[in-house]
Amino acid sequence: MTKEEAKAVEKAENVPAVPWPLLIISWLVPGLGHFMLGRKVRAFVFAGVVCAAFITGVLLNGEIGVPQAGNPFSWLTTMAGLGNGVLYFLRLIWLNGVGGLFSSLPLGLSGGGDPAALGFSYGKTFLISAGLMNLLVVLDVCDIARGLKR
Amino acid sequence: MIDHSLLMIWYALLVSVFFAFLWREDAKGRRNLFLKTFLILVVGGIALGWLMYPFP
Repeated sequence: MTKEEAKAVEKAENVPAVPWPLLIISWLVPGLGHFMLGRKVRAFVFAGVVCAAFITGVLLNGEIGVPQAGNPFSWLTTMAGLGNGVLYFLRLIWLNGVGGLFSSLPLGLSGGGDPAALGFSYGKTFLISAGLMNLLVVLDVCDIARGLKR
Repeated sequence: MIDHSLLMIWYALLVSVFFAFLWREDAKGRRNLFLKTFLILVVGGIALGWLMYPFP
């Protein structure tokens, strides 16, 4: 099905358009999208779970995904890390400073973490999982806003 | 010192709560999915660790 055909089907079935601003808000602040849609319990649970996983990852000396030269897999961990929204950017600013954040783009950023630390791999897993969970939250917000889910 | 079992249980707890609230609407469904996911993750993790024990 082409993009135009998909749009025509959506229009015929009266499915609302994708609420991009809401999705961006939901991505940036975990749980805020659900909160704005009135799903307050879910909002607090999702915010709590994502933040808890992220903080655990940081405390375990995990590395947040940043693009690295010669390591194509680092782009995947970057995508997953970006899923954390504002938490990801705050961590990068914490590690690189505001100035360093812009001067080190795109391949010179520090993702933090200590590879020699016992919790390095665990921490990275927690950070990646937190980002992926928040991306699922964004998709959930999209479905609820479009009336495809209660 | 890091307690590997405790970290595994913490991870399983977070993931189970997350998917229970994401995929189920009612309290009973959430509780059932949470218990199922949590037990599969914890027991499966221990079983896999036990199976891998002989390998270097």
